[in-house]
Amino acid sequence: MRIKINRDMCTGCRLCLQICAIEHFSEINPKKAALRIEAKFPDPGKYWPFVCTQCGKCAEVCPEDAINQNEIGAYIVDKERCTNCGECVAVCPVGVVFQHSDLEHVIICDFCMRCTEVCNTGAIVKWEKTAAAKEKEA
Amino acid sequence: MVIYLKAGSELRHRLKPDIDYYTRRIKTDAGKTIKEVLIDLGINPALVAFVYTEGKVKSLDFIPSSGQSITLQPPVSGG
Amino acid sequence: MNNGIAGTSLRINLTIGEIERIESDEEVYRRWHGGRGVIAKILYDEVPRDADPFGPENIFIVNVGIMSGCFIPAGSKVEFGSVSPLTNGHGDSNMGGHLGPMLKFAGYDMIIFTGISPKPVYLYIDNDTIELRDASRYWGMGSLDCEKQLKKDLGEDFEIATIGPAGENGVLFSCITHDFGRQAGRTGQGAVMGSKKLKAIAVRGNRSIGVYDLESLKKQVMEIILRTKTHPNMEPWQKYGTSFFIKWSNDNAVLPAYNFQTTYFNDVGKIDGDQLVEQCLISHKACFGCWMNCGKYTKAVIPGKPIVHLEGPEYETIALCGSNLGMKDINHVAYINWMLDNLGMDTMSGGGVIAFAMECFERGLITEKDLEGHTLRWGSVDDVEHLLDMVARRRGIGEWFAGGSKRASEKIGGGSEKFAMHVKGQEMSGYDGRWSPGMLLSYMTADIGAHHNRSWTITVDIAEGRESVEGRAKIVVYLQHIRPLFDTWCICRLFWGEVDVTPEEIVESLNHITGWGVTVDEALRTSEMIWNLTRCHYIERNRDNGRAFDYPPSRSWEDKIPSGPGKGKGVTRDQIEQMLDEYYAARGWDKNGNPTREVLEDLGLVFAADNLEKLGFLGKPIPGGIPPVRGEKYKPKAF
Repeated sequence: MRIKINRDMCTGCRLCLQICAIEHFSEINPKKAALRIEAKFPDPGKYWPFVCTQCGKCAEVCPEDAINQNEIGAYIVDKERCTNCGECVAVCPVGVVFQHSDLEHVIICDFCMRCTEVCNTGAIVKWEKTAAAKEKEA
Repeated sequence: MVIYLKAGSELRHRLKPDIDYYTRRIKTDAGKTIKEVLIDLGINPALVAFVYTEGKVKSLDFIPSSGQSITLQPPVSGG
Repeated sequence: MNNGIAGTSLRINLTIGEIERIESDEEVYRRWHGGRGVIAKILYDEVPRDADPFGPENIFIVNVGIMSGCFIPAGSKVEFGSVSPLTNGHGDSNMGGHLGPMLKFAGYDMIIFTGISPKPVYLYIDNDTIELRDASRYWGMGSLDCEKQLKKDLGEDFEIATIGPAGENGVLFSCITHDFGRQAGRTGQGAVMGSKKLKAIAVRGNRSIGVYDLESLKKQVMEIILRTKTHPNMEPWQKYGTSFFIKWSNDNAVLPAYNFQTTYFNDVGKIDGDQLVEQCLISHKACFGCWMNCGKYTKAVIPGKPIVHLEGPEYETIALCGSNLGMKDINHVAYINWMLDNLGMDTMSGGGVIAFAMECFERGLITEKDLEGHTLRWGSVDDVEHLLDMVARRRGIGEWFAGGSKRASEKIGGGSEKFAMHVKGQEMSGYDGRWSPGMLLSYMTADIGAHHNRSWTITVDIAEGRESVEGRAKIVVYLQHIRPLFDTWCICRLFWGEVDVTPEEIVESLNHITGWGVTVDEALRTSEMIWNLTRCHYIERNRDNGRAFDYPPSRSWEDKIPSGPGKGKGVTRDQIEQMLDEYYAARGWDKNGNPTREVLEDLGLVFAADNLEKLGFLGKPIPGGIPPVRGEKYKPKAF
């Protein structure tokens, strides 16, 4: 299960950031979300969402082996093992591994899909391979 | 021919939706304006500011085509 | 705190550069509900009645309210307030975007600025770091240019509000701009910021906002999100914003054209919502937590001029800078919007002032010589560009127009007061009131001059009879209580009524956030209390009976509408007097428009009654006593 970004449809409402933090931390705090929105104004005048692409570089670089992919493809942080060293933050090509001064571990998207439920414009949507594509892969 | 009217708020109560929460299926004659359709339904056209269909705003003089889905937009509360 | 309040407020003395952190007082918020309410109380208590709005004694307040930032739909607003240089009374103006929530995420509910900085500064906030930083290299920059530069210098994730050269130069209707296109436009808050040499506010924060019952709030908000996703009204709002009812206003003869000379614009098809979306749209833009995304980020393309990007024009700007100026090209309207944004002037008052100037030129009251060799013709974007430069820099007769149409008409004379379309010094919104008497009454009695956001009655007028004034007063009173609640709670009103989110549901959210158990009735009474307080403040500052200030310009009753569907229509002076009589009676005020002791004490404002009495403007007791319930909700007649 993946998340697809239709970049031009984002309006910058930040509902995705809000629901993500509420779901995972029971807090209203966009800076604890596992995705980010870049505002590109005045030129070109768009919002660009950035979401985990499951590339796995964070797991590769983690010196504590604290990041591992689960059965749905998400890279899950073992909060006990993570030392908050930030190597994964530096290596993420999309800039979606986050640290926060309140926390002793990093934040990586677990693909709970709440963001896709609140996004009203189709900028952030659930994406699954079609049955045919899955079959082809197998 | 058949058209579909949708409305929210006060208008929705007068429309009496039957297909879903907002939508009512209407049988009407081709060539009638929305205004005439509303009068036939017993809805005062003054309650509808304009209609919205296929991504565009239209006045009440708009003549719908068969199968079209049309949102009745009430007068707004001001911008 | 776990009630939507961040917990810390700031008192900043700009004269000596001192920043004081104080605890946000929950009791004050409980009584005044935040935003406009808390601002009204502080201004009333702390600004001396003879203080110059541009002097050190005026206080400039930024208040985020309780609900802003708390995951509530459209919980994005921030309120600015000070004694308005435009109206000489309580002034407040709100804006959406992301600044309010970000202030809360940094941990602050309110910033109170006093004094005047000796040098241009901007306020820098990054969680606990609060600094007044030197703004000399930003002083003189356009609002939009300054925001771009500050984001480059400080970081793209800062939320920033700026003023432009107009605010720096004390143009009375200067605005505050944020997020490349959201404004706190009305009452000249940008001018007050400029008078204090405060160029910008830049905020970043990563804290959480605590609420009373997050689970219930989340459940309610998710239900509203899913329900309104498919609401039939949602799509046109998302696609057009408020621009889609420009044509409706025109068809119903309330769209101002040529400085409110008439109310029907033949070329409306060239500047309506369809033109905006087809010709200018770059992207849809939302405020924090709002999926109606009414904002339209656009480009204005005019051969020979640079291509500019802006947010807008929305309904008010299309009306006041479009049909009101005779503009026949949406790109021209957008370009004027951009000029006003970057120079830092309210597009509504700006459009009203330009239109007034155009009519003066048409009548020969001002000439090319006054305009540095330029003309000022209806529909000419070049002529407007030149005038705006004169106004923003206060050059030549630009100085007169920088005071708004009221002061300009006093300088120009020649009967121009008749068509200076303001009340109490603030220009009218984009609706003509001659065939919409409730709207005219709304303009006359709004506490901040002729602004529609306090009360908007065009639909009521159409449904109840446009030539009758029957029952309008009570409905206006009710609307003047319910609509400013959104400015008090700092959430956006467009959700209410447009997609069936009710006041009861909003109060339910408020209670999930605060745990206070507020009812809609209590909220309405709080709003009425705030309304009476700002009225008292106005009377005390201006030292005359309230009624003296509640009249519209005489065009409103002397000039019948000359063309279009409203041809021949208009209110009479007698109807205006009748509406005022009924309005004051509905409010429990006396015939002079002064609040009475009975109504002020009923609302817990004994101190205000005492102050009015000392000045000799306390309302005389009403025979029969005050009405027990002030205002009446409009119920559409059964069809």
